[in-house]
Amino acid sequence: MTEPDTVDATLRALLADVLGLGEDRAAALTADSGLFGALPEFDSMAVATVLTEMEDRLGILIDDDEIDGEIFETYGNLLAFSLRKVGE
Amino acid sequence: MAEHCFRIHPTGTPRATILIVPPLFEEANRTRRTLVLAMRALTADGFAALLPDLPGQNESLVPLEKVELASWQNALAEAAATIDGPLIIASLRGGALIDHYPKAAARWRLAPIGGASLLRTLMRARIAADREAGRTSSLDSLQAEASTVPLLLAGNRLSPAMIAQLGSAEIQPVAPLRSVTLGSGADVIAGTPLWLRAEPGEDAAMAKAIAADIAAWSKTCGIS
Repeated sequence: MTEPDTVDATLRALLADVLGLGEDRAAALTADSGLFGALPEFDSMAVATVLTEMEDRLGILIDDDEIDGEIFETYGNLLAFSLRKVGE
Repeated sequence: MAEHCFRIHPTGTPRATILIVPPLFEEANRTRRTLVLAMRALTADGFAALLPDLPGQNESLVPLEKVELASWQNALAEAAATIDGPLIIASLRGGALIDHYPKAAARWRLAPIGGASLLRTLMRARIAADREAGRTSSLDSLQAEASTVPLLLAGNRLSPAMIAQLGSAEIQPVAPLRSVTLGSGADVIAGTPLWLRAEPGEDAAMAKAIAADIAAWSKTCGIS
């Protein structure tokens, strides 16, 4: 897999673990799929858990001032943020 | 004050007693059902199994705000002192931060996690909730606040002492220890990280795997 594919797969598996989506729902996420505010499971505790797991699984460090509401609006936004952080 | 302790006994004299140290805070609720399934499987295999309430958690009458990490370490030592016969301590996640005081014939840890990482996640939940409510907070502002007054983090009101101890708590080396994670390969257990899950779930297959792994490790440590 190329790096973007790996990041994408890692992120889907992570959301499946935290939100209990199951493999099918996680695989069906598109760039436009809504997350925070759209999925009832995605509450503030889930946001926190996702951030910590992103750091662990993608080997990145996330500063709290980098985080705004938009990152969690859609799957596409979260993936773009992750790819940028992995590339830093 | 004695805390509630969920116990399951086998028929006859137990081969050994497994003291389960639950994960901390919300992770304990997310994993409790699967842990109890693992306890039942261990009992069917001739072990006694104990799941104590930590002061300030679950059914405890102690306000969480009055509790420090050291209180949990002492409470576990007290729970262990009541046990006759060989003792095996099995900890999950943050439970591994408080499991090292009692003497034990064997120890087992699943997905242990450092205190700083746990605290960071709790702080981030507070920041995310603040952001939703239109307030601005940061890890730095919360840390500063936590040095003088209790802080409400994801529903847990934690004292300055608890936050300081949690932030610096590290997994202590113990022996004999088997430490496992989730996944596939060596020193792993197949299953789902239910402690991360936003809504409660259960994993009966993982519960069986946990029980089988603890039983095999106890045999390695000379418990028949």
